[in-house]
Amino acid sequence: MRTRLIIAFIVVALLSALASAWFINLILPYYYSSLPAWLSGVISGPRQLMHLLYTQSPRVPGHAPMMRYPAPATVITFFLSAAAVLLAAIAGMAFAASRRVLLPVRRLARAAHRMSGGDLSVRVEPSGRDELAQLVTSFNTMASTLEDKVAELQRMETRARQFAGDVSHELRTPLTAMTAVADILPGHPGLTGDAAAAARLVRQEILHLNRLVEDLIEISRFDAGTAQLVTDDTDVATAVTGCLRARGWTDVSTDVPAGLIARLDRRRFDVIIANLVGNALRHGGPPVTVTARAEPHGRGSGQLALEVRDHGTGLPEAAIAHVFDRFFKADTARARSEGSGLGLAIAWENAQLHGGHIEAGNQPAGGAVFTASLPLNGDPAITGTVPQPVPAGL
Amino acid sequence: MTTVLLVEDDPAARQGLEMALRRLGYQVRPAETGEAALEGIGQDAVDVVVLDVMLPGVDGFEVCRRVRRGSDVPVIMLTARGDDFDIVGGLEAGADDYVVKPVEPRVLDARIRAVLRRLAKAGSPAETHGELVIDRGSLTVALRGQEISLTPTELRLLLVLSGSPRQVFSRQQLLDLVWEHDYLGDSRLVDACVQRLRAKIETDTSEPRYIQTVRGFGYRFGPV
Repeated sequence: MRTRLIIAFIVVALLSALASAWFINLILPYYYSSLPAWLSGVISGPRQLMHLLYTQSPRVPGHAPMMRYPAPATVITFFLSAAAVLLAAIAGMAFAASRRVLLPVRRLARAAHRMSGGDLSVRVEPSGRDELAQLVTSFNTMASTLEDKVAELQRMETRARQFAGDVSHELRTPLTAMTAVADILPGHPGLTGDAAAAARLVRQEILHLNRLVEDLIEISRFDAGTAQLVTDDTDVATAVTGCLRARGWTDVSTDVPAGLIARLDRRRFDVIIANLVGNALRHGGPPVTVTARAEPHGRGSGQLALEVRDHGTGLPEAAIAHVFDRFFKADTARARSEGSGLGLAIAWENAQLHGGHIEAGNQPAGGAVFTASLPLNGDPAITGTVPQPVPAGL
Repeated sequence: MTTVLLVEDDPAARQGLEMALRRLGYQVRPAETGEAALEGIGQDAVDVVVLDVMLPGVDGFEVCRRVRRGSDVPVIMLTARGDDFDIVGGLEAGADDYVVKPVEPRVLDARIRAVLRRLAKAGSPAETHGELVIDRGSLTVALRGQEISLTPTELRLLLVLSGSPRQVFSRQQLLDLVWEHDYLGDSRLVDACVQRLRAKIETDTSEPRYIQTVRGFGYRFGPV
């Protein structure tokens, strides 16, 4: 853009030089005498220049000393340097002029680039009152409108999430009372028939509500960014069998190499296993298998790949992208399950917190497979261990 | 009969927990505020305190700190949020354990039993480790000839660690042995209790002599 402007500038300058040469050669001689003295003086050039360029002819007796001859070397040097200086001046002016035009355009381009990168606070300083200045003003208006809208949306989302968190917290207090007495009703000798069934139902639903509120609070911690990792060296095989045993899932087969150690938040890792296996047991077909292995991954010490497979019909193709959404149901006709609907979303968030991720897919042989990939050696800066020197003598 | 001082400001939760604890065989003294709880501790023989964090006026952390000044009664925090802030704050204030609301009665029962469990007195003579004398017979600990007062949890931790000097215990092992938690206990319980214990027995807590950290593994007693 700039180069084109400079070339155009020079071409215009050369064309005007040519035009003035033609003018002087073709038209001026006929009107030279009728011009006012000052104008003819300007056109013919200053006398000092004349003296410099033309030497007087050698004085010949009998002839008037009027004839002047050009001094060849001087003239050529003069014109070459004059042309060079003129060209440089023209180029400089063109450069300066293009700067004036291009600078606001460049600023706009930079601003637009930053904006497309997500920085909506960017503004361009308007200068002058030409069309470019109008463009800059429109750009600024657009940016501030966008910024306001986005900020408003974020406020609304924060409010909504905050609200969900607050509601869950408020629900805990009444749930504390209900949970404390829930065990009293079922099996009470005074309750028979419908009353006994109702008591069982109430107890069961109190526990379900507990899980739901617990999961909502957990999710709201991720949303608020207050979830923290407390990592420890964890034996993966122990964690997997412990998780399954604690929940009474005896018909899940496992294949985890002994001695596989990963630096994980044990509670969060347990949640990942439990939610993936729970999901497979509820929505997939038996048998459910859990496998884990270490595999190389980029730089660093590799990653832990934990796979949970079931042998049901697998995930519908359209559901794969959404299984980690909150309250997502692959089959809308399916009755409410005993899960909270947040299990996979929580597992996903926990994997993210570890610096890993979870993927969902189908096996070629049928059945769904969920693979959690977690770094084997998490960032020690965020561990719960108090760093202290190892005492000598061990 | 074990007496539980139950400090909870919400009437329904207090009533529910009181009913559940009574059915589990505890004697319950309910207290509505932190002030009432501190009075209750002063007057009656209380075996364990179950303490809500969120209290009007004097909050749970402050109640716990004041209880700790004059008594070694075990304190179990009832955290409404289960947030790290509550848990860490409670443990720093001197709580022995915590449960997250809403808590199932059987879980609270197990935790209360665990913090109250007395170690069997052994007939062995008192052991001397440096300036520390541990008497497993009378379950007392003396530092430079002066008996120091430890909460049951701190005492259990010290006895477990000093029972096998130089052996490294992982946090998980200690949670199992001292707190009787399942395989998913919160290792911060161990760290907080170690800090409290060090404050009581170590001369320089930044250079611990008795309870040493083995980085990446856990803790061990000595070598003194």
